[in-house]
Amino acid sequence: MSALASFKNIYHGQSTEPGEIRLTHGGLAWQGTETKAVVTVASESMRAAQWIRVARSFQLRLLLSSDKRRVTFDGFHRDDHDKVAHICKQHWDLALDTRELSYRGWNWGEYDIQTDDLQFLVANKPLFEIPLSAIANSNIAGKTEVSLEFLNPEQLKPDPAAPRRRRAGDELVEMRFYVPGTVERGEDDEGGEG
Amino acid sequence: DKDGKDGKQSFKRYASYKGELALPKEVEDLKIHVDRRNRTVLLPVYGYAVPFHINAIKNTSKSDEGDFTYLRINFQTPGQVGGKKEDMPFEDPDKTFIRSVTYRSADGARFDNIYRQITDLKKEVSKLEAEKRDKMD
Repeated sequence: MSALASFKNIYHGQSTEPGEIRLTHGGLAWQGTETKAVVTVASESMRAAQWIRVARSFQLRLLLSSDKRRVTFDGFHRDDHDKVAHICKQHWDLALDTRELSYRGWNWGEYDIQTDDLQFLVANKPLFEIPLSAIANSNIAGKTEVSLEFLNPEQLKPDPAAPRRRRAGDELVEMRFYVPGTVERGEDDEGGEG
Repeated sequence: DKDGKDGKQSFKRYASYKGELALPKEVEDLKIHVDRRNRTVLLPVYGYAVPFHINAIKNTSKSDEGDFTYLRINFQTPGQVGGKKEDMPFEDPDKTFIRSVTYRSADGARFDNIYRQITDLKKEVSKLEAEKRDKMD
């Protein structure tokens, strides 16, 4: 099928391998430049489309109806928005929703657990999302502290045949939260991790 | 007691960025970045560039284990022991707080540098705020 548009230097999910994405009437296809691996998404399986500013510029996120999962592509440019929005609307019958994140720099808010993600919101806007599949372990450390440990990339991708490539930036290992919960406030002398 | 009179400090609102346009370009390499001008540390979290204002950060610690250097950033949260800081003000202590995040890197020298940048920025901002408080008194 002929491409309505194609974009280079696009990353699939958290991968550090750049690739090219082609948008067609029937959906989209991404191909990695090094591995030649292909990811396709048929337009019938798309339930919603979102446009999000992420670290690697802009992300096209598609929520899929089939198994309620989502697929993400990072690396779009700001100017690509209108082209992508047009294809979403004209060919896939989807509105491309821009999701606003929080840039306040606060470390307090609310967490929300969704189908596939743990979301942290600051003043009702997402600060980040963590895929539940990336959480290796969680612990309750003291009455108001919860810790999450994350899978490192080797654990996430145990494929020794995969080509060695540059490390995917700094690796998040652990995150701890203070969760006030239902414990009566006032007489608190915390067990204290400090 | 929200206004925090009688010697208690009141919480002063702060903000890192007005919107995504202001995010520094360096975040795209998915590494920790210190934006000194905006007093903000940007952390990579599953593809997002997540800003934390230096005021939200308490301190940073670093350790080496095997091939990796670990960097832990501790944030200001209620219910912490140590230091007589019971009057540390919070906008809303009933929220959930991120208390710490730990990263690892095989590039120890870079984490040494990040550690120093965060520690220096914290010192610098604390000093400026202490000076401001002295002038007001």
